[in-house]
Amino acid sequence: MNLHYLMNELYYQKRRTLTAILGLSIGIALLIILNALSTAYRQAAQAPLKEIGADITVQRPGDVPKDLTGVVFPCSAVTIRDDQVKKIECLPGVRGVGKAVLLWVFDPSRAWIVLGVEQQNSIGPAVLRSAVTEGRYLEPGKLEALVEISYARQFGIKVGDTITMANTSFPVAGLVDASRAAKIAVANVYVPIEEAQKLAAASSQVQSVSPFSPSDVNLLFIKADQDKITDLASALRNIVDKKATIGTPDSFLKLLGSFFALSDKLTMAASLIAIIVAVLIAFKTMAGNIAERAREIGVLKAVGWTNHNVVSQLLAESVIQCFLAGLFGLLLAAIVAFGLSFMDVNIPIPWDMSPTPHFLPGGGDQIFKTLRLPVHIPWILACFGVLLSVVIGGATGAMLGRTISRIKPSEVLRHE
Amino acid sequence: MNNVVNNGALLSGKGLSKTYGDLTVVKDVSVSVKAGEFVCLVGKSGCGKTTLLSLLSGLERPTRGQVMLAGKDITSATEDELALFRRQNVGFIFQSFNLIPTLAAWENVALSLFPIAMKETEREQRALDLLEKMEMGHRTEHLPSALSGGEKQRVAIARALINRPKLLFADEPTGNLDSATGDAIMEILNRLHREEGVGILMVTHEVELAKTADRLIRMHDGEVIS
Repeated sequence: MNLHYLMNELYYQKRRTLTAILGLSIGIALLIILNALSTAYRQAAQAPLKEIGADITVQRPGDVPKDLTGVVFPCSAVTIRDDQVKKIECLPGVRGVGKAVLLWVFDPSRAWIVLGVEQQNSIGPAVLRSAVTEGRYLEPGKLEALVEISYARQFGIKVGDTITMANTSFPVAGLVDASRAAKIAVANVYVPIEEAQKLAAASSQVQSVSPFSPSDVNLLFIKADQDKITDLASALRNIVDKKATIGTPDSFLKLLGSFFALSDKLTMAASLIAIIVAVLIAFKTMAGNIAERAREIGVLKAVGWTNHNVVSQLLAESVIQCFLAGLFGLLLAAIVAFGLSFMDVNIPIPWDMSPTPHFLPGGGDQIFKTLRLPVHIPWILACFGVLLSVVIGGATGAMLGRTISRIKPSEVLRHE
Repeated sequence: MNNVVNNGALLSGKGLSKTYGDLTVVKDVSVSVKAGEFVCLVGKSGCGKTTLLSLLSGLERPTRGQVMLAGKDITSATEDELALFRRQNVGFIFQSFNLIPTLAAWENVALSLFPIAMKETEREQRALDLLEKMEMGHRTEHLPSALSGGEKQRVAIARALINRPKLLFADEPTGNLDSATGDAIMEILNRLHREEGVGILMVTHEVELAKTADRLIRMHDGEVIS
């Protein structure tokens, strides 16, 4: 293989070189972008759960309470018993469990959405700690509450005030901007979980729909091994209820409805098509280029180049060309990915994860988690794209080189 | 059998025939060329001269017959053996020059040295020396597209000489040149033959050009007639 000859061929035959590079680079760019988009949608779908430090949420749907007075459970989240929670904690793949109790409190003068949270657990609504805008977060062992800032503004509640819900008084320790923290597991008022459990256990409305003891909960947030999430979802249904609402990244992905979010298999199929397109483009372009050089190959053989010499030269040209195509494809993909990273994606939150009663103003509105599409090209994907391009170049160059090297010099040189 | 064979020949073809489908282009021809001899193969267009040249140089295999070049039977050699044999023993000059368009003049000259492991400077020096000898020392870095027809053929002759061949095969070397340039090219070939003892087998349809040759072989309808 002569490097100088190779470089001259690529440099002086610009049309040939650019056609081959451009054709293949489009295929490679397509492959990289398809996979980057698929990964981006997957990451986006994890966002609502990641916000609360979990990979899975568990709720159990139940009956609608007879009267909307006092303390009630939303019909989308009724009792998950303590023994069920303990079984869940022992499931393989479960790395941690966060618990919460979601209540609707209908007092004569006001309705409250109340969430009982574990102050010290990093899994679940305790992430609100970072969203305190005024005052402080809940301290262990204290009977106090946090109020959502917009709710506090609406009703003139300030830090240091005392609010009374279901005949229980809670000093307001702080205000939180829940919209900064999460879209699921949000409420008007946050209290220690033990207090919420006491309120629920004491409520005849709750007990009539779903028997509840002070150690039970109605929302679970699970941190799990990524590769076990699918298996865990079915195990959780077996433990809690066949009709349980299990929120996973996959369930959010399905709600997105984007082509790129549909499935791994579709992405694989689309990638395969992109690879086939890239191979066909490379093969067709290079076959045309090499056919144009039949006379040149004849000359090389006439002056003493062996078949091996010819194949080596063409193979090296092809590999270098495809390597450049891979790099150019990567550059194209990076430009497209940069453009797409300014795109917003709206992830719908299922109605049963929305804490607001549907009969209250705004309660029936679809809630979205909106975020910038996190498109980026991982190193491994970038390397794979370039490597694939080189492999295509090698295979194409070797195949075409072997074919063209078989020509007899006399056949291409005889007609003067 | 048409016999133009000399004993002690550098090149000899015996009973050579070449058939394409139903068409026999070369019919039972025997020829030979001695070392340092300048032989012209003349005849009208389409009489089989170029095919015979291809058979004798190992560019093509005969349907029948045997070619011995520098003591080796090249008719039974493999493709790669033939290529190596051509690289080491013969040079080619074509009517339409057949220079590689993307290589500079000196690189075209050094073309058959590319697969050989040697220093780039040595390769270049050998090519430059030959171009100098062809009075092309001022055009060494030019691409073929920047050269005139005569200059291209000088580069092609230099390329044919790079491996110090025993025999040059020239197929209508002046066919694409005007008469003055053609004369200059013939002068170069004559000089190589006279002064350096290079053997030449040249195909031409112009008998005038063949006058300076040591020997003439005439062909007609695929047969040697004298």
